[in-house]
Amino acid sequence: MRALRLLLVDDEAEFLEPTAERLARRGIECATVESGQDALRALQNLQFDCLVVDVRMPGMDGLELLRLIRRDHAALPVILLTGHASIELGVRGMDLGAFEYLLKPVDLDELLDTVRRAVAAAGAMTDT
Amino acid sequence: MRDKPQRGYRHLRMVMVLVLCAFGLLPLAAMLAAGFLAQQRAFDARTRNALEAMVKNRKATIDLFLDQKMRQLELVALAAPAADLARPGRLAAVRDEMQREAGGIVDLGLLSAAGRHLAYVGPYDLMGNDYSGQPWFQQVLVRGRYLSDVFLGFRRFPHVVIAVKQREAGRDFVLRATLDMDHLTAMVREGALESGTDVFVLNRAGEYQIVAGDPHRLMEKADAPPPPLHSGVRVAEVRRAGRRDLVATAWLRGETWVLVGRQVVPRLVSIAWGPPILAVALAGLILVPACAYLIARRGLRQIRGVEEERAKLHESVAQSEKLAAIGRLAATTAHEINNPLAIIAAQVGVLQDTVRATDFLAEYPELQDRLTKIAAQVERGKTVTHRLLGFSRSVAPPVESVDVAGTLDETVSFVAKEAQESAITFVREYEADVPPVVSNRAQMQQVFLNVIDNAIDAIGRDGRIGLQVRCARGGVEVLATDSGPGIREADLERIFEPFYSTKESESRHCGLGLAICRETMRSLGGRITAANNEGGGAAFIMWFPVHQVR
Repeated sequence: MRALRLLLVDDEAEFLEPTAERLARRGIECATVESGQDALRALQNLQFDCLVVDVRMPGMDGLELLRLIRRDHAALPVILLTGHASIELGVRGMDLGAFEYLLKPVDLDELLDTVRRAVAAAGAMTDT
Repeated sequence: MRDKPQRGYRHLRMVMVLVLCAFGLLPLAAMLAAGFLAQQRAFDARTRNALEAMVKNRKATIDLFLDQKMRQLELVALAAPAADLARPGRLAAVRDEMQREAGGIVDLGLLSAAGRHLAYVGPYDLMGNDYSGQPWFQQVLVRGRYLSDVFLGFRRFPHVVIAVKQREAGRDFVLRATLDMDHLTAMVREGALESGTDVFVLNRAGEYQIVAGDPHRLMEKADAPPPPLHSGVRVAEVRRAGRRDLVATAWLRGETWVLVGRQVVPRLVSIAWGPPILAVALAGLILVPACAYLIARRGLRQIRGVEEERAKLHESVAQSEKLAAIGRLAATTAHEINNPLAIIAAQVGVLQDTVRATDFLAEYPELQDRLTKIAAQVERGKTVTHRLLGFSRSVAPPVESVDVAGTLDETVSFVAKEAQESAITFVREYEADVPPVVSNRAQMQQVFLNVIDNAIDAIGRDGRIGLQVRCARGGVEVLATDSGPGIREADLERIFEPFYSTKESESRHCGLGLAICRETMRSLGGRITAANNEGGGAAFIMWFPVHQVR
């Protein structure tokens, strides 16, 4: 079984870098980008099993990014991550097809678990 | 704060009472005034008519009397020659004859044209007097017949004479009679005079000739001049010295004397009010203010009710706005804190991973422990921010079937260790067959935890926390009591307000706990209230509906 490929999207490099390192240590290939535009560019060139996207970012926010991803990658699981929890944001994210909505600071194990469930769910959908 | 509107209401009530009284009493006063005036007018008319009739009556009597006496005198002068009358005893016989018819004669005298008595019968000694210089004597020689004004004459006593001239064989004689003043006065007085009535006769000069009352006024000038000549009886109203007089005048025949009747018109106050009018007035005076007061009080009570309701509504809206603002602030703050927390957690995680994978620990044994402590503090910060976010999240919580007693037990287990250390015991009384409620287990637990935490804090050391679960009012009620000092009465109302804290010493409480509890209970369709136990200590009552009604 090949390693999971994950794209982390967050405007906070301080958060991206250690999180990516920890995930890598747990056997996950992790790429990081600091904006929505970079994320879309990365998606054009590379294949990912799952995306973890911060909702609040300058320029293109996580929800907008999610909307654009859904055009070309209908089945790509996306997990939203934010420091700002509100039911409205959560509902909008789910409506746009997010797999889960997690609140910062998130426990790494919880994130990993969610990623695995998301990939499994996506795999099950593409298999059938 | 509460006093000001009170005073405002009292003032408003006074104004309302006054206005209503005015509206009620005005028609009453108008009615009374109209009645008053009508009564006065009727009374005036009656007085006027009575006075007019009296004056008319007496004028007729006096006219008749004077006429009669004059005619008698003329008759005597015509019928008997002067020589005959001059004989001793003859004049006395004539006088007696005249007295027999209606009386009123004092004496009788026959005078020559030279003004000397030819004969005289009467009580005075006048035989030697010379009358040629007397005004009345000159008048009668010129006019032929004459009625004098009152004068003193030779007898030095006020009297009135009537005289006629008779020409006999080229010589003039004068027959004169003195009228009895008492007789004249009696005619003017005629019966008992009403109080406030005055009757008298004036001559053209305005001097009293005959008076019904005080005889000292005789021949004195009256305070009002005689009226201009007129026929019949004339009535006029005269105001003097603050009172009203009705004055009826009639010129007597010959137009030398005028008969005056004067009646003082009673003032308004002296008019007698009938009992029905007084009763109506009195009833009005009592009923109108009483009704005005009752109406004003009722109206004000309604106004006040509406205003209080409005104030309450305003308060509750203000409260919601306050809470919403706090919610927004909490959410923003939580977000701002969550991001650095996430970074710290990530960085610490990397360090922990690294420590685990390498042999740093040999060099620095406490490193693992210290990193764990940082991670624990991050976790603690996360708990706070997530609770704050919970406060801002008051919309549609996930609903599930929740066992209240089970949730409560689980919550107690969270704090069991802390309670045990503080020597606090839990006394549980759960009713059997309590149905599950449709609610949110996590939020319910948050509320229980908050209340129990508070109870532990309140007790400090050594005490009891009572927990009861029972069915109540179509839902499930949880009663949490503690053996702490209780809640001050003043605080009871306010402890659910955001940022209101009674725990001065402990800084770890931001005063949001109970405010969040109340919001949470509301979003669950239930409510939380605080009270004090009769036996001391605080009591919190949490009620959850069996089915959520939103």
